[in-house]
This record gives sequence, C-alpha cells and structure tokens, in this order.
Amino acid sequence: MTREWWKHLVLVLGAIVVLAPFYMMVSYSFKSPGEIDRGEGGFFGRQETMIDPRCVALRQPGRAEIEDASSRFPGQDDADVQAALLAETENDCSMRPVVFNYTKAFTEAPLLRYLLNGVIVTVSIFLIQVVVALPAAYALAKLRFWGRETVFGLVLFCLLIPVHAIALPLYIMLAKLGLTNTYAALIVPWTISVFGIFLMRQFFMTVPDDLIDAARMDGMSEFAIVWRVMLPTAIPALLAFAIFSIVAHWNDYFWPRIVVTGNRDLFTPPLGLREFKGDGDGSFFGPMMATATVIVTPLIVVFLIAQRRFVEGITLSGMK
Amino acid sequence: MADLQITSVTKRFGETPVLNGVTLDIADSEFVSLVGPSGCGKSTLLRVIAGLETPDSGAVSIGGANVTTTRAADRNLSMVFQSYALYPHLTVAENIAVPLRMRQLTHLQRMPLIGGLLPGARGHRQSIAAAVNAATEMLEIKSLLDRKPGQLSGGQRQRVALARALVRDPAAFLLDEPLSNLDAKLRVQTRAEIAELHRRLNATFIYVTHDQVEAMTMSDRIAVMMGGEILQCATPEVIYEDPDDIRVAEFIGSPKINILPIERVGHQLQIFGRPLEWRLPPGSPQIMQLGLRPEMVHLTKRTPRLRGRVAHVENLGAEVFAHVMVDDGAMRVTLRASPAEQSMLVLGAEVGLGFNTRAAMIFDADGKRLRKIETMVGTAVEVA
Amino acid sequence: MAVLDAGAITQATAGNREARTAWGLTAPALLLMVLILLVPVVVAGVLSFTNYSLGNASFDWVGAENYERLFTRSTYEKMFIATFTYVVTVVPISVGLGLGAALLLHSLGRIGDIYKTIYFLPVMATLLAMAIAWEFMLHPTIGMVNRTLAMACGTWLEVVPFVANGCAGGFPLWLGDRDYAIWVVCFIGIWQGFGFNMVLYLAGLTAVHRELYHAAEMDGAKSAWERFRLVTWPALGPTTVFVVTISCIRAFQVFDTVEAFWPQGGGPNKSAYVMMFAIFEKGVQQNLIGMGSAITMLFLAFVMSLTLIQRWLVERKVHYG
Ligand SMILES: Nc1ncnc2c1ncn2[C@@H]1O[C@H](COP(=O)(O)OP(=O)(O)O)[C@@H](O)[C@H]1O
Ligand SMILES: [Mg+2]
Repeated sequence: MTREWWKHLVLVLGAIVVLAPFYMMVSYSFKSPGEIDRGEGGFFGRQETMIDPRCVALRQPGRAEIEDASSRFPGQDDADVQAALLAETENDCSMRPVVFNYTKAFTEAPLLRYLLNGVIVTVSIFLIQVVVALPAAYALAKLRFWGRETVFGLVLFCLLIPVHAIALPLYIMLAKLGLTNTYAALIVPWTISVFGIFLMRQFFMTVPDDLIDAARMDGMSEFAIVWRVMLPTAIPALLAFAIFSIVAHWNDYFWPRIVVTGNRDLFTPPLGLREFKGDGDGSFFGPMMATATVIVTPLIVVFLIAQRRFVEGITLSGMK
Repeated sequence: MADLQITSVTKRFGETPVLNGVTLDIADSEFVSLVGPSGCGKSTLLRVIAGLETPDSGAVSIGGANVTTTRAADRNLSMVFQSYALYPHLTVAENIAVPLRMRQLTHLQRMPLIGGLLPGARGHRQSIAAAVNAATEMLEIKSLLDRKPGQLSGGQRQRVALARALVRDPAAFLLDEPLSNLDAKLRVQTRAEIAELHRRLNATFIYVTHDQVEAMTMSDRIAVMMGGEILQCATPEVIYEDPDDIRVAEFIGSPKINILPIERVGHQLQIFGRPLEWRLPPGSPQIMQLGLRPEMVHLTKRTPRLRGRVAHVENLGAEVFAHVMVDDGAMRVTLRASPAEQSMLVLGAEVGLGFNTRAAMIFDADGKRLRKIETMVGTAVEVA
Repeated sequence: MAVLDAGAITQATAGNREARTAWGLTAPALLLMVLILLVPVVVAGVLSFTNYSLGNASFDWVGAENYERLFTRSTYEKMFIATFTYVVTVVPISVGLGLGAALLLHSLGRIGDIYKTIYFLPVMATLLAMAIAWEFMLHPTIGMVNRTLAMACGTWLEVVPFVANGCAGGFPLWLGDRDYAIWVVCFIGIWQGFGFNMVLYLAGLTAVHRELYHAAEMDGAKSAWERFRLVTWPALGPTTVFVVTISCIRAFQVFDTVEAFWPQGGGPNKSAYVMMFAIFEKGVQQNLIGMGSAITMLFLAFVMSLTLIQRWLVERKVHYG
C-alpha cells in the first residue's frame, strides 16, 4: 500500500475527472435555480422551500376568483383579498427544490411515456434480434448445407457495415414506405444483428454434436432443437448479448433523432431530454438535470448490481 | 555450478502456512528431487530458491553466498516451468536466446534495427547464436528453430523450455514438474534424457515432482515433502528401504506398503491378538505399527504369522499381487507372489502369510520409526 | 449394389432435407441482412450520383459532382479536418489511457475494482445526457470548470501562463471558442471511451499466463519495462488491434456530443463539423440526399477499410497455444 500510493493518487485523480459530470448532474437535480446560478449549497443544496414562479403566474387570481373568495375574508376590500389569495397561491406553489425539480421533470414533458418508449423499443429490438439470429446461427454452426460458406461470408461482410453509417439510405427507404414516426422505424433497422449471428454461431460451434444428435434421436425437429436445446445452452452468451444490445439502444440518440420528428408520443428518453434542453431557459437547469438523472439511472443501477455480467456483455464484442 | 543451502525457510500465504522451516543442503552437481503429494509446498520451495517468492524467515545461499534478498534475475539460476512458459510471440530460436540477450546486450543493443549497428553488438549476437545452436543440438530440436511455440507439440515445447534453461551456464537448474504435461510414453523417454543431461553437464539439478517413480529413477537424493516440511532427504535406496517416517514409507513404493497395528502385552508383541515371538526391550510403547512392503510378505503353509482370505488378484505377468483380507476381513494386506504361486491364490481361498522379520519396520503410533526396537527384536529372533 | 444405391439415395434425400431446414432457418436473417444492410449501401451508392430530394418525383444524374464538391468545398474540408482531428486525438489517447489504467488496476489486484467500476460508468451512461452535463460544467460563467480554475487565481498556480491569462482576461468560453470546441469534443470522447478500452485490456491481461512473468524474471528481465516489452505487450497484441479498430470506428461515428452542443452548424466556425453530423445535416435536415449519400459512401469506405485492416492483422498472426 505504501509503495503503491502513487498509483492510488493517479487513479483517484482520474476518478475525480470521470465522476465530475455525474456529481454535477445529480447535484444540480437537487438544487434551486438560485443555488445553481450562484454555485452554492454543496452537494444537496440547502433545500430551502422555494416558490415556483410559473405556478404562481398560472394561478394569478382574476376578478371572478377575488369575488368568490371575498366571502371568506369578510370586511376586507378587494386589494386585501387579492393579497391574501396571492399569499395562499404562493404557499401552494412553494416546495423544496428537489421536489420541484423532479416533479417538473415528470410534468413538463411526458417523461414516463419516454421511459416506456425506451423500454418498448429496446426490448422489442432485443427479442426480434434473438428470434432472427438464433436459428441462423444454429444452421451456420451445426447444419451441413450447400451455400453455407457463402452465407457465412455474407455475415462476415455485413459485420463491416455499421447501421449508423447507412442511416441516410435507411431513412429514405422508411420514408418512402411511410414508416417514419412509427415504432417500426425505431425498431426495424436493428432487427438484424449480424454481430449476434456471428457471436451465437461461434458459441454454438463449441456445443458438442452429440447433444444435437441425442435430441434428434428423441424425435425433435430442427426447429425444436433451436429453441429447446440450443437456446438453454446459450443462456450465458445470450445474457451478455442482451446487455450489449440493451445498453446500445437505450442510449442511442442518432437514429431516433433521424426518424422521429415532432411526435412526442414516440420519443425515446434521449430525445425527450434533448427536447427539454431545446426549450428550456436558465431556470430549468434543475429539472433538466433531474430528467438526465432519471434517464441515466436505470442502467447505472443495474450495472452496479450486476457489474460482472455487464462488463462481460459490453466487452463481448471483444470476444473471438 | 554451485552448492545450495536452504536454512529454516518458512513461508505463509495469508493465514495458510505453506513451508514450515525447511532445511536442505544440496551439494555441487547433485541431482535432488523434491517429491510429495500435490499442494505440499514443493513448487513454493522451488520458487523460494529461485527468488520468485521471498521467504518469511530463513535463508537461501548459493555457492556460499547468502542470496535471500537477491532478486531472481540476479541469482544466476535457470528454471523449467510446469507450463513451459515459452513466449508465444517469439520463435523457438528467439525464445532460447532470451536469457542471453537479456543478460549480454544493453537496452540499446536489443532495439530492433539500430541495435544491430551498435559497436559490440555483432560479436555478442554471434556468440548468442552459437550458444543457441549448441543448446538446440543437444536437445535435437534444430529443425524447429523458426517455429512459434503454438506450432509445437507438448513434447517439443518441453524440449524448447529445457533448451532455454540450458543455454546459459547457471549455478543450478530448477525444474518444476517438467514432465507432468507429457503422455506416459514420452515421460519415460524424457526422464532418461534428463538424467543423462545431468550426467553430461555435471550440474546441480533441483527437480520437483509428485511422481515417485521419476524421483526414484533420476535422483542422487530424494527429499520427501509433506505438509510444508521435508520428512527425509536421502538416496533413493535409503528412502525406500529405510524410511524415517511412516508417511515416507507410505508415499514411496507401489503398491503401497502394508501398515499393520501391533500391540505390546507385557513383554510380548501381538498382531491381531496372535503373539509374535519377538521379545521387547523394557519401556517400549504400548501401541506400535508394523510396516511391511508387499515383496516382504510371502505365502506359507507352515506356521503362518497371519491368516486371511484372498480378496483380489492382479497378474502383471512377471509378478502377481494379491490382496488378502486378514483379521476377519478388517484389514487388507498386499503381497507380491511369483506367477508360479498363482494356483494358491484362488479368490476366497484361505491362505497363510509369513514375513521376514528383518525386513519389517516398526513405527510408533505417531509414525516415527523405532529403529532401536527393530534392532533388538531383530537380534532376539536370530538368537531364537 | 442395389442396396448400396438405395443407401446413397436415402443419404441424398436426408442431405436435401437438412439443406431445406437450414435454408428455412437462415432465410429470415438472410432476407433482413439484404434488405437492411446491403440494399441501403447500394441505394446510397446510386443516390450519391444524383441530386435526389425526398418529396421530389424525379431526380437528375449529376455524375461525380457530389464527390467533386466533397473534395473542393471548404465546408467539407472543415468536415474532414474536424473528423480526423477527432479520430487522431481520441483513438491514441483513449487507447493509451485504457492500457495505462488497466496496467495500474491489474497491479493493484482486488483493491482496484472500485476504480474499474468508476471508470466504466461513462460507458454505460447515456452519452447525450452526459454531454449536456458537460455543457453545464463548461458553462463560461456558472460552470464548475471555470469556477474551479478561478480558484487558482491569486495563488502560486498563476505562474502557469494559461491560468495567468485566464485570471486577467477571463477563462475560455470552451464550447463557444473555435480554438477549443473540437478539443472539448475530443476530451469528452476520451472521457467516455477509455473505460471501455480499459476493460478490454484487463480481460487481455488476465489471460497472460503468470508463469511467463516468472520466466522473464528468471531470464534476466529486471525492470518492469523489460517485462512489459517481453511478456505483456506481445500478449496484448490481439487486444490492441481490436481496441484500436473499435475505437476508430466509434470515433468516426461521433455525433451525440456535437449535436447536443451545437444543434445548428457543427460548432463555432464549423470547427466540430464531423462526418456523422454532416450526413445528418445535409441528408436529413437539408434534404440534400445526393450530397448526404456521397458522404455516407466515403464514411463507409473509411470504416470498412479499417475493419479489413484489423482482420488482416489478426489473421497474419499465427495462432498460439
Ligand atoms: N500465490 C499463492 N497464494 C496463495 N496460496 C498459494 C500461492 N501459491 C501456492 N499457494 C498454496 O500453497 C500450497 C502449496 O502450493 P505449491 O507449492 O504450489 O504445492 P505443490 O507441492 O503442489 O507444488 C497450496 O495449498 C497452494 O494453494
Ligand atoms: Mg507445483
């Protein structure tokens, strides 16, 4: 430990730089606009109750309300009643900054909807990828047929093409089909994972032939073998692939940015955050950072819980 | 070449003691085997000698110089690793040259391209090439020089690892189970070759193995290790015929030595309740153990010392081993018989067993050899 | 003979059946592969020679005009400069930092795991969200970075010219300053990516056989550097090839940060106008699909040749045991 202090020094400095934006993001999501502006309040802010100016502005008492309320304040003139009402409103609109930031995050924009979209899109992508890739990988690894080498060569070639790179022609094709601004547009380009096929094929190569022959002796069809024999043996590889796939698509911004325009109902979490930033003024830093925190948190939490699996999954692409 | 002394070396990994005060003297150009069951600390001891582990206490000296705190690279030892540890990216020739390049060339001279242009580098390079040549010739791997380790068979890799150790002229050679990854046939062949190499080089060899046959066939002396201690260090003959400890007797020899409980009743020794004709010196312990190697037990019809039923017979052609259940089936005695005697060894048949008392070894209840008692009962029998 | 023939026939039909199932199992993947990956490449290739726009009924063939512009217009010169600056900066530094961190962590053993977790966080986090967080950090007046720098004013740290200038004339605007913009993007790229490289290197390091280090020590490799050269670096060769390739491909695809910082135009004076952003801006926003396709084709050429070089490097190596 003593001889290694310099290593810890270097690593701690690195850790500070790495953590700084996370620290700031979470900290800002706790603070009031004033504290953010002046850079005060430590990590949690002072959490003094604050008044939401927009809430007050929206509930500015009009003539009718003042008249309605005058019975509650007998013997007072209109100005006094107005002042009293204003005080009530301010009371209703005051809250702790952390509550303010997180309520705003969920009410200013349909953040829950975005999160749901994120889940729908990432899960559908993963499921379809598996349904498409697993049988193909099985055939390429374990079945002998004319043309197998060609198909595998095609897989190897397609590995060269990142989907992001061909986003423009894909976008044009989807536009021609009238599919932009649909869930389909978000999902379809990712349904084929050449990498998934390659990975599963490599994994299936290591499954002994005897296992498959035994299944055939038991009278299973090839289709049944894929789902009842190969799928269970491939669970560890599949889990790693799931993590790889889900992380990539939950965080993806480029593709949704292209095919979803305007229709908030289809926004994925990064798009929602982007929109927030686009129309936010300075006082909205807090809620925006709250949104960012909400979007980043799920993956980070699962990562911290199942760290090893995650690292495996993300580094999967490094496997042969 | 040099002699080595290891003095009261202890080593623990965390809470686990692995070496408990090991002392061992190795003479110049001696071949010493460290043998023992796996996990007993052989590799650790070898690595302490090599300098790859520092002992917690105790000392190692090579050629009279204390090297306990000297790092491995400066101890002038060569080592052959169990996994061979060949550099996968270097060819066979380059692998063998590494120990010389590291020691003889400076940093700059080792650089690719410009290294060759520096003064002095040429001469060094030529002498290194000559040494590599000599080593590969000795081990008959000249045809492999340009291959990478990945393209070699296990036996070939093993030879390359040996050549890498031989290319220098170290104070001693350390070998850690160098044959354990080879198939049985190759193992026998290489065993003989290493023994011959030792004779030819006349160098100090320390050879770690868990295989007693290797130890018995190759060594000048064998150090039997168990539980982080050296139980006995002696020539193969002594280790086999005259072990100090019941654990040594049990570890060496195949089939295993028979250990039978014996008891003193008054002045008389009894085995399974039957008296032996030996008389005991006063002060002998109550409970003792009798060690009998299978070849010391023979079939007999007249006055057998033991009786039992044949439970299992193994015919190896030149000799027959029989397992006989004695003491009403509670104990099993293995004996060696000649093929001619096989007709007596019918499964389930009752046979009588005798043994030569002079060959019998007596141990106390803790397994320490009781030589004094042996000599006394030995003479007593002769008198009788 | 007849029996043999019958056997051969059954075998042939069995083979046929297997082939039919195999094609059945691969068909969906094959179809999608062609439609989603291959057809778009062809479409982009064809469109790059036209002046097509979405919504137009027809288009004209313009020959190589789009490509010509790509290599003559100053906008695209800036695009190439920005992209290559980014790649050439981010790849070596993130690979180097990844390797350095991996070596440090590896030498620390289990205590190092906490750093590993921390360094890996940016890889997991939504890049867009983190880009926005960085934008706040780098805010010229209320950002944490300039505030921290300002704390150095009036201390001995002012001997550093950068600090002295900042204290006198204000610290940089970062994202608003064309001298800094691309470097900030590079920095975030490194910040986000090196943890990934580190983890790959750690995996590579655990695969290095421990006895090799002992052998190196016995062979007289005394310094840590010599052992690194003799054992570690060669053993990490395949990892390095992979890490460099994947870092390059990811670096070429940089988009989220640039779009988050400068939704219009790619940075002050287009100093951060990277290729993906150009494709997005020309092709999608401005509906200049011919131009966008031409950039796409060029982009594909870069990325594909990188992967091909990697494969060639990997295959050139003999397999070792
Ligand atoms: N680096 C180490 N850390 C912890 N324990 C070790 C280490 N090396 C060896 N041991 C333990 O020390 C004991 C002896 O190991 P070793 O010397 O390799 O035995 P062997 O006689 O089989 O060569 C074993 O129980 C092993 O688990
Ligand atoms: Mg060992």
